[in-house]
Amino acid sequence: MAGTIVCDVISDGAGNSTATDNAIYGSAKAWVSYKGTSTQSIYASYNVSSVTYNTTGYYTINYTNAFSDANYCVVATCSKEGSTLIAIANTNNSSARVAPTTSATALSLQQYNGSAGDTAYVYVAVFR
Amino acid sequence: MSQVIIHANSNGGVSVTVPTGELPINEVLVKDCPAGAIIVDDSTLPQGSDAQFFDAWELSGSTVTVNFEKAKAIKLAQFNAKAVEEAQKRQLNTLAGIDNAVNDADFTASLTAGRASIANATTTAELVAI
Repeated sequence: MAGTIVCDVISDGAGNSTATDNAIYGSAKAWVSYKGTSTQSIYASYNVSSVTYNTTGYYTINYTNAFSDANYCVVATCSKEGSTLIAIANTNNSSARVAPTTSATALSLQQYNGSAGDTAYVYVAVFR
Repeated sequence: MSQVIIHANSNGGVSVTVPTGELPINEVLVKDCPAGAIIVDDSTLPQGSDAQFFDAWELSGSTVTVNFEKAKAIKLAQFNAKAVEEAQKRQLNTLAGIDNAVNDADFTASLTAGRASIANATTTAELVAI
């Protein structure tokens, strides 16, 4: 079924409303939750076609539908696994910067000392 | 049984691409993977203790194997990192100098024994147990 509703404001009819722009620009355009260890598994996703496991704690998130440009915003986090890990976008396992592309984003998990780590729960959301 | 896509990467290891299911795996192969990547059953990838040494995986044809010497090097690096953490912890716990940990006979003996165990290991299961 196809169709388009054009409006400036969305309301629930109970006094709560928001500008349509908030729904359009404020909602995630892609997201994925996955198991980051070498026994790979994807838990759930939206607009993500695959996750590539490159080395320990270094992944590529591939989008089902490419973005119009690479100026999107990536938000990522993960569970703790022994040491505390932080998720760092556009960075490889050598801590070198990797430019985002319209179709994929590099993501690495690192300990505070910069060494790579992996964990059972990794979460990524992308806004544009 | 699920299917994944594998290819040799620039680190000398194996990259594993796991489809989310939003696209057929053949489309993912073309769209997300370099030329030469192949589709395999995930059950053919290293399992158990071998799976824990992902960075030691190597691709030979369509078979992924574990380079045991790489696995030992990985284990030794992990062991040494933990030793540093333990040394730092002891320093904090005692509020004494780092020499306190270095001169701890039991601690240094356990390090020597651990490193010897890694050097003498013959399977990844033995490495995991250290």
